[in-house]
Amino acid sequence: MSANWLSHHHSHADSPIHRLPAALKLGVALMIIVVTVLAPIRWNAWFIGVASLLVLAMLLSRLSPIFLLKRLLVLSPFVLGVVVVNAFQPAGRANWLAVAVKSVLCLLVVTLVSNTTPFSRILRVLKSTRVPALLITTIALMHRYLFVLVDESERMRRARASRTFTRGRRFHWRTLATVVGQLFIRASERAERIYDAMCARGWK
Amino acid sequence: MSAAVEITNLKYRYHDGTEALRGVSLRILPGECVALLGPNGSGKSTLLLHLNGILPEKLPANGMVKILGAPITSENLETIRRQVGLVFQDPDDQLFCPTVQEDVAFGPQQLGLAEAEVAMRVDKSLAQAGLAGFGGRSTHHLSHGEKRRVCLAGVLACEPAILILDEPTSDLDPRGRREFKVLLRQIPATKLIATHDLELAVELCARTVVLDRGEIVADGATKELLNDEALMLAHGLERPHILRHTHPH
Amino acid sequence: MHIPDGFIDGKTAAAAAVISTIGVGLALRQVKRELPPRRVPLLGLSAAFLFAAQMVNFPVAGGTSGHLVGGTLVAALLGPSAAVVVVTTVLIVQCFLFQDGGVMALGANVFNMAIVNSVIGYAIYRMLCHWLSGIRGQVTALAFAAWCATVLAAISCAGQLAWSGTIPWSVAFPAMTTVHMFIGVGEGLISAMVFLAVSRARPDLITETTQTGQPQRLGELMRYGLLVTLGIAIFIAPFACSWPDGLDSVAEKFGFSHKLAVPLLPAPAPDYQVPGIHWAIGATALAGAAGSLIVFGLALLLGRWLVPRQSGSASDHLPNP
Repeated sequence: MSANWLSHHHSHADSPIHRLPAALKLGVALMIIVVTVLAPIRWNAWFIGVASLLVLAMLLSRLSPIFLLKRLLVLSPFVLGVVVVNAFQPAGRANWLAVAVKSVLCLLVVTLVSNTTPFSRILRVLKSTRVPALLITTIALMHRYLFVLVDESERMRRARASRTFTRGRRFHWRTLATVVGQLFIRASERAERIYDAMCARGWK
Repeated sequence: MSAAVEITNLKYRYHDGTEALRGVSLRILPGECVALLGPNGSGKSTLLLHLNGILPEKLPANGMVKILGAPITSENLETIRRQVGLVFQDPDDQLFCPTVQEDVAFGPQQLGLAEAEVAMRVDKSLAQAGLAGFGGRSTHHLSHGEKRRVCLAGVLACEPAILILDEPTSDLDPRGRREFKVLLRQIPATKLIATHDLELAVELCARTVVLDRGEIVADGATKELLNDEALMLAHGLERPHILRHTHPH
Repeated sequence: MHIPDGFIDGKTAAAAAVISTIGVGLALRQVKRELPPRRVPLLGLSAAFLFAAQMVNFPVAGGTSGHLVGGTLVAALLGPSAAVVVVTTVLIVQCFLFQDGGVMALGANVFNMAIVNSVIGYAIYRMLCHWLSGIRGQVTALAFAAWCATVLAAISCAGQLAWSGTIPWSVAFPAMTTVHMFIGVGEGLISAMVFLAVSRARPDLITETTQTGQPQRLGELMRYGLLVTLGIAIFIAPFACSWPDGLDSVAEKFGFSHKLAVPLLPAPAPDYQVPGIHWAIGATALAGAAGSLIVFGLALLLGRWLVPRQSGSASDHLPNP
């Protein structure tokens, strides 16, 4: 089975937050993100308010806090970069604080929504907006086959690794490139079979 | 009685010129359950894909394929696909929707049915496949056996007269295989099952057709054919154990 | 290069979102027009492929490894518009599912990685394929094009960060550009090798070919070109020319700087007192120019190494059943 962090099983758990309608969660999340990004850093009340709301939501959602904190690590190199650069700035301190606070809050909002809402529901909300059908189908198919392809690539790499006895990097790159190439070929062939399966059930 | 499926002298070549089907002729009567056996590369899947017009790429076929009396042409593909339900070899190819509900509903929706009717058919097919209550599940989280059953449900929801299955029990554990066999037995449609599972052939199909290198080499009663050890071995098959113990020769 | 939320401000996010929406809209329209129905699932599957491919680690040195981003590769395989749609899809799913890149920043990320990367990469690739023939030529062209595309996307990203005031241009430009000139080498190498692997095994799957008789795509590229130029004008041009700085100091001298209610051009980030920093910008630009020549040379060598003899065009390879 695919790597654990890909499994996204959290979105299928149960909690008051999980049960909220997807459209509501997405709408509120979007609003919070937009205002947070636009708000000047001196609007303490807003930032504290959002932070409190998020803590409450995190508790209600029964998501593991460690899991959420690990998600925050994604931000760390960026925030570090900004901190370092702005350390040499006269107006620096306010700048990096603003960036850090905003990015952490926004990331938590998205993490919460995405881990308490099954992706199929998010897609349904997108379908009801004016996002073009072709894009929605593409996103849906990507999500559906993402795990299948990752599994396939894992199996291929393991099979290759089992027959790799040299430590040469050049050979290694060639092998990996072949694996990635094979992955594209398999994806293409599967795409054709999916088309056949769609036609078999009457798709026009 | 007119045939449900009538294939006359069907030929097909792959892109690189290899002959996949070399003049296949076959008649299946309504209500029959026929097993299609043959070694790998014999052309089984290719043959099945001709039965709902996916192959050849340019219709009409080289030879004649008639479903319920009507030859398959590019004009009547819609009708043909209503009548013929094909369950593909790899369930991941067929399960392309995010949730079980959506996937099983795909066929009825394409048929243009009303929402209420679609929902009813989905529930009925899921129940038939032993998957009541699975509607909300994500398709990529299912076990292999569950995926195969959802695929079957998705095809049953279209209520086809003819059901065609390409290796339905491969990769299933023994319990999965048993459960699937029980399911298939309860479906009243005319059935054509390509399989390596010789025991499935013996248990479900009164008639067996053996395909080898693009040609039909045998067509007759299942128990008779499968008991013919020489015939089985000559075409990459074998005499199944289930017959060894019930018919000691 | 996925920009998180909070790193670009409202105006930058909005401008990028507008440009990207137009760009993706163009791409979708083009794809609908030219892609046969049989290939529609291929878009979604290519997006899944790209995601899975990005997880493959190509070991570099010590503990580091390289990854494929893949916009140019997908453009070489499926065409520029398909690549825009595919990469946009990947970015959207990465944003929502894995919080890789912000929601408001999607417009900027799509502009950099889906539009600039895929389209400019493709344009350079096609241009070079005109002059370099055969499969070796395609491999060389792709390697160089992918490198350029990576660097250009990084410059665009730097411009967006600078315009938002997060990091000043004088730091962002040298930093992002230099880093990505190295990362781009990996991208070029991997893209070329994967393209070669596919064209050897199943050339028929490459829907985009550089043979004559294929759609010239001039109009299509020009439309994207306009969008990209617009983006450059907004995100990069203000920094590329030095006279806004001059204007600032003049205004100060004459005591009316605080009366400028609306700046004529978006001002670069907070004023800098560190000496030699403008020198860094010039040096980077120079390094970029020199680097391009060096990388092109490397790409030629790569082509020669990967494709031992002049084996003619891709169609010489028969498809395997």
